[in-house]
Amino acid sequence: MRRSLSIFIPFVLMFAVLTGCSSGEQNVQAEKTQDGKTVVDFWSFWGSETRRPVIEKIIDDFNQSQDRIFVKHTFLPWGDIWTKNLASVAAGNPADVIINDINTVAQRAENKQVEDLSKYIDDSFKDQFYPHLWESVQYQNKPFAVPFNTDTRLLYYNKKAFKEAGLDPNKPPQTWEELEEYAKKLDIKNGSRYERIGFYPLWGSIGASSWMTNADNGAGFIEDGELKINTPNKVKALEWIAGWKERLGENTVQAFQAEFGSEQANPFIAEKVAMWVDIGTFYTQLRDYGKDIEFGVAPIPSYSKDSEHWAEGGGFVAEIPKGSDHPEEAMEFIDYLTGPEAQKYWAQKNFDNVANIKAAESVIDELTGDGQTVYQATVDNLKVTKMFPVPVEYPDYHNRINPIIDNILLGKYSPADGLRQAEKDVSKIKRE
Amino acid sequence: MKTALAPRFYETKRFKEKAKGTAVTFLLLLGSIVVLAPLWWMISTSLKSPEEIAQYPPTLIPNDFHFSNYMEAWRTAPFTRWAFNTFFIAACGTLGSVLVNSLVAYSFAKIRFKGRNALFVLVLSTMLIPGFVTMVPQYILFSKLGWLNTYLPLIVPAFLGSAFFIFLLRQFMMTIPNELIEAAYLDGANHLQIWWHIMIPLTKPALITVAIFSFNGAWNDLLGPLLYINDENLYTLQIGLQTFKGTVQTQWHYLMAMSVTVLLPVVLLFFFFQRYFIEGSNISSGTKG
Amino acid sequence: MKQTEILPSETYIHEPEAASKKKKRLSRTARENIIGYLFVSPWLIGFAGLTLGPLIFSLYASFTDYNITSKMNFIGLDNFKRMFTLDDLFWTSLLNTLYYVVFSVPLTTAGAILLALLLNQKVKGMKFFRTIYYLPAVLSGVAVYFLWMQLLSPSTGLVNTVLGWAGIEGPAWLFDPEWTKPALLVMKMWSVGGGMLLYLASLQGVSNEMYEAAELDGASSMQRFFYITAPMISPIIFFDVITSTIGSFQIFQEAYVMTESGNGGPANSLLFYNLHMWNNAFEIFDMGYASAMAWLLFIIVMVLTVLNLKLGKRWVHYEGGDK
Repeated sequence: MRRSLSIFIPFVLMFAVLTGCSSGEQNVQAEKTQDGKTVVDFWSFWGSETRRPVIEKIIDDFNQSQDRIFVKHTFLPWGDIWTKNLASVAAGNPADVIINDINTVAQRAENKQVEDLSKYIDDSFKDQFYPHLWESVQYQNKPFAVPFNTDTRLLYYNKKAFKEAGLDPNKPPQTWEELEEYAKKLDIKNGSRYERIGFYPLWGSIGASSWMTNADNGAGFIEDGELKINTPNKVKALEWIAGWKERLGENTVQAFQAEFGSEQANPFIAEKVAMWVDIGTFYTQLRDYGKDIEFGVAPIPSYSKDSEHWAEGGGFVAEIPKGSDHPEEAMEFIDYLTGPEAQKYWAQKNFDNVANIKAAESVIDELTGDGQTVYQATVDNLKVTKMFPVPVEYPDYHNRINPIIDNILLGKYSPADGLRQAEKDVSKIKRE
Repeated sequence: MKTALAPRFYETKRFKEKAKGTAVTFLLLLGSIVVLAPLWWMISTSLKSPEEIAQYPPTLIPNDFHFSNYMEAWRTAPFTRWAFNTFFIAACGTLGSVLVNSLVAYSFAKIRFKGRNALFVLVLSTMLIPGFVTMVPQYILFSKLGWLNTYLPLIVPAFLGSAFFIFLLRQFMMTIPNELIEAAYLDGANHLQIWWHIMIPLTKPALITVAIFSFNGAWNDLLGPLLYINDENLYTLQIGLQTFKGTVQTQWHYLMAMSVTVLLPVVLLFFFFQRYFIEGSNISSGTKG
Repeated sequence: MKQTEILPSETYIHEPEAASKKKKRLSRTARENIIGYLFVSPWLIGFAGLTLGPLIFSLYASFTDYNITSKMNFIGLDNFKRMFTLDDLFWTSLLNTLYYVVFSVPLTTAGAILLALLLNQKVKGMKFFRTIYYLPAVLSGVAVYFLWMQLLSPSTGLVNTVLGWAGIEGPAWLFDPEWTKPALLVMKMWSVGGGMLLYLASLQGVSNEMYEAAELDGASSMQRFFYITAPMISPIIFFDVITSTIGSFQIFQEAYVMTESGNGGPANSLLFYNLHMWNNAFEIFDMGYASAMAWLLFIIVMVLTVLNLKLGKRWVHYEGGDK
């Protein structure tokens, strides 16, 4: 029987090791630093070598200026950060400040995942930020987050290719019609194979829904609770996109898409595509990897001469998860994070569009050359940039519309039939 | 006359075996190319400069070999600490997994207790519910136990058995003749002794498989550490790999260099453990035949 | 007697007397009951302490409008009604998943067995071959999926290039809704190394002597496989079929990573059951509905598993003598 006892030794040992290692670790996050400062837990997904030093410098500056608060930054991977946030809000021990998506603030407010910030800020606070961004952080007329950074879409075009094709490199296309006309001139075909494609509307940082909005005078799929999916201009936009696909051929489109699908090489930088829609920070890739490219930027071509160059925007906000232990201190940090000083530093180092107007404008003056041109263009473009916050009544409308758009572009439905179906499907999922 | 009776060379057993061996080697070599293509791509990317990675068309072999990518990537974050953490979690988990699952499986395979079949179906049923609907309540539970920011949520469950491994080991143990257990029992051995002295040695290939699987699983686990650990010092390699993925740009050269590095220990582990897969090392061969 | 060779000799020899004295206290059945549960107790503790609570919680949640953070009102069978009558994507996801299960289970099982048989041969360098073929099972994460996007690229990808040599024009794989699921199956076949390992371990129980005897009797290699190998590894085939059915029903990661932000791929062709569930739970915070979906899946897979267990009794051969 002695033997049977000895068998349990590994078990006993293991549990000893386990309890040993666990008791060595702190079970609860420290609330205070040793010198009595309140610890503010800050979660972001900025862990890369380019972003991390920038955010940590901002945090250091803030901590230096403080004798009451100490901000502790934790990196959590993109996507998973919000899963963890949700679990920790449910368990009642969330972070104090977290970076989250700007277009879903209302949903989080509705589900009581974030703190109402109205009691911490005065009326003039909002004037620091671009109005379209501030609007996106509101739910029932109260702010639930503070905008941090944003983006907008521009048309990048290859000036060298323009010259080759006999186009004026200083006159980018202004309308859809011109875009198509230029694109055809910029195509280079070798037999049935395309060596270069002038333009394709679904490549780059833009999708069918952005073009539909652009055509429809900036109206999204749902405006003020009203469905605007099946509108004449949106149908036309889809017909227009389908036309591009037909002209280039399904095989060409799929082959290009797949080849650059790994996101390592970029077809605009490889000069395989002459015009390309992307966000402002795309400039950094051109700067680092596209030394030979001579490029220009322009607003996205408009549907007609009389309509605006509507673009779609996104971005991130800083918010306080519901149940944070130190909301006041958290707000003080958010105030600094979205203030002119921190925002300017972020914008400069990351070449990113920021939400703070003063910071954004002061950065333009300090940049030079192409950088200045592009940054100026993005800031100007914010005026025609629309945000499409997800309405709380239709939280998953995207999932209903996108597959139908796919099917329309595959030729399974006509644009008119498809959008009628989409509108019907979305109306079915309305929440009270 | 004699020569006519003797089998021709290509009819001999030796030749047949040789031919078969060659065919097998050829097939395996061919397959290896397919299987290794991704690894080739990973290694080649890990040795390129960022400029070369952005090039189109992509190069198959790097123009310049940037071996320094490996050291640079390792230094971008406390990877040494994270490697130690990951190893600790994976090693603890593997040990627990092998011991506990085989003990539980032995009971299901060889001890006739009341309600065994019903209980076994219950074990299987725990595999049927997708983890993410129980994730939040489980997180709350661990939070209430005060286990957040410790490795307990990652290691303790391994010591409490997993349906997959229990089922797997039970299947292996079912193939071991009952007479063997019975004989030992009549000789006065208790079940604990039979398990330790008979079952464990006889199911070695299966236990090695469980060890490889659990180590691999813990080593590659991302969501577990990410959910339960709040302190960056306690992070694991898989979370570390995520730091190279940017919102705008991914540092492919570092990501691939670290992916290869992280892969290496698991591959080595497999390489050394697979020597236990020797034909006939299970019991059934010993009693049959 | 070969058995004695296997038993560590010194252990039991002096025990019979002591054992026979103890036997008087309890009947063998009673002791088997106690020991049985004692051995299973780690799992029982884990189940009761860590698993059961969350399971019951999610079962209850499936009858509520639980949103993870603030609501949990009982709404009866509303979630299930919504599933069957209002949510078209539920049906899309269920059909996609069934398609995947029907093909992936037999293909990966057969693939793993074949590979294991090949890797069980006596050939020089087998250590390396085994390691190489196991590699895909170790590789994980986003890098693998990006790699596959390259391999499956319609014009320059390796897969279509090879098909081109055979005079076949390959499809657009991940970009053509008709071909996205086959593309996933190709990926799955690539990583059968994990399953292979199970069979390899199992094949170690089949002795050479049996094959040699059969060969003397003039059995062909096919006969040898079906009369010797197949029955001997049938417990593991049984295991593999059951667990890979369960696993295939829960396919998630591949679709989540390979389709932008988990949107289900071109025309929802990769919107699998668990992906739809995930979107409901974590994109729109409808955990009540997601839980309802999870428990419906539980019922479906449970029925299949029990059916498998019943059918298994007919074809699974346990050398140990049990059924």
